[in-house]
Amino acid sequence: MRRAFLLGCLILGTAMAGSSLAAAPTMVGKEAPDFVLRGLDGRNLRLSEYRGQVVLVNFWARWAGDSRQEMSALDRINTTYQRAGLVVIGVSVDEDLRRAQEFAVAMGVSYPILFDTGSEIGKDYLLQKMPMTILVDRAGVVRYSIVGFKRGDERIFLDQIRALLRE
Amino acid sequence: MNLKVRVVSILVYGVLSAANAAAPAAAAAPATPPAAAPSEQNPAAATPAAATPGTDSATPAAAAAPDAPPAELKTLDQEVQSLKKDVIDLNKDLFVLQEELLFPANTQVALYISMDVGTFFALDSVTVKIDNKEVKNYLYTAREADALLKGGVQQIYLGNLKVGKHELVAFFTGKGPVERAYKRGATISFDKGVGAKYLELKITDRVPKHQPEFMIKDWE
Repeated sequence: MRRAFLLGCLILGTAMAGSSLAAAPTMVGKEAPDFVLRGLDGRNLRLSEYRGQVVLVNFWARWAGDSRQEMSALDRINTTYQRAGLVVIGVSVDEDLRRAQEFAVAMGVSYPILFDTGSEIGKDYLLQKMPMTILVDRAGVVRYSIVGFKRGDERIFLDQIRALLRE
Repeated sequence: MNLKVRVVSILVYGVLSAANAAAPAAAAAPATPPAAAPSEQNPAAATPAAATPGTDSATPAAAAAPDAPPAELKTLDQEVQSLKKDVIDLNKDLFVLQEELLFPANTQVALYISMDVGTFFALDSVTVKIDNKEVKNYLYTAREADALLKGGVQQIYLGNLKVGKHELVAFFTGKGPVERAYKRGATISFDKGVGAKYLELKITDRVPKHQPEFMIKDWE
């Protein structure tokens, strides 16, 4: 009887954890909160200035292991789809600005990297896990939100980017 | 005892499976209406299928005006346009009301920024403090700085202040002559009367000294 109770609790607990993940709030379907941040090159960049273009915003952190792989993948996507009207923006949420800058320089990506040291933008975008990527359509609405990165996710990005570029 | 364990496990598993099966079904549900939509949007296309060979009266009507939208659609479109206009008007009224409520004219303080020439200074950011409290920190993109150089005037801050004496300090950062990092401040003490107060931050070039100049102008 005790075993049955424990088993039941275990399964219910798993189910509840699953449902809480599914119910995690996302920005999908909402207007992308505007932000202006300083970039690696010293220039400031405002998201709303790219209204009319498809924008991919990648929130990353130096300590998130998947960030490195994802940034390389996004760099390839940026090189290919930049001409088609895609804008890729990287936003570091590292609190240590100097180390984040060093990391960004070492990565040497072709798209602009911005720094949100105060994590203000992260709160607006309901960041929960790093890295996180959002896709904003031409009307400025968040259409996709992808948490984490694993091999093969590049294809998912490409499908979604192509669909948005066709709109 | 073992039987009980199995029964409980089967019951819980059954509930979970049902919940999992319901979730994708709910997610797939919104996909159904678009499938039905074409027939709604194009009733003309649906008519031939519905018309039986015996009903000849339907065919000439469809042939007479193949491209013209039906009157019902036209009216619907007009209604949508009218609704859109109403929404825009309502939005405008709400904005005016919000301005009046949040920033009543007698306590309002508005701060503007303008830039003239800009040969000796490339604007990067402005921080505004009123009575030693930071009220605004604004980063400028290249496009925004260009707009200011072309004669644009930006309302950088709108807020409320009590009647009496106040001090405003503005810090300007950017690149000065010879691409050097440049940070300067400008201060103004002003009397806030009963009416609204308008102040302007002005960035100009002081040609003889090859330096930028930062001023705060009080619009009486």
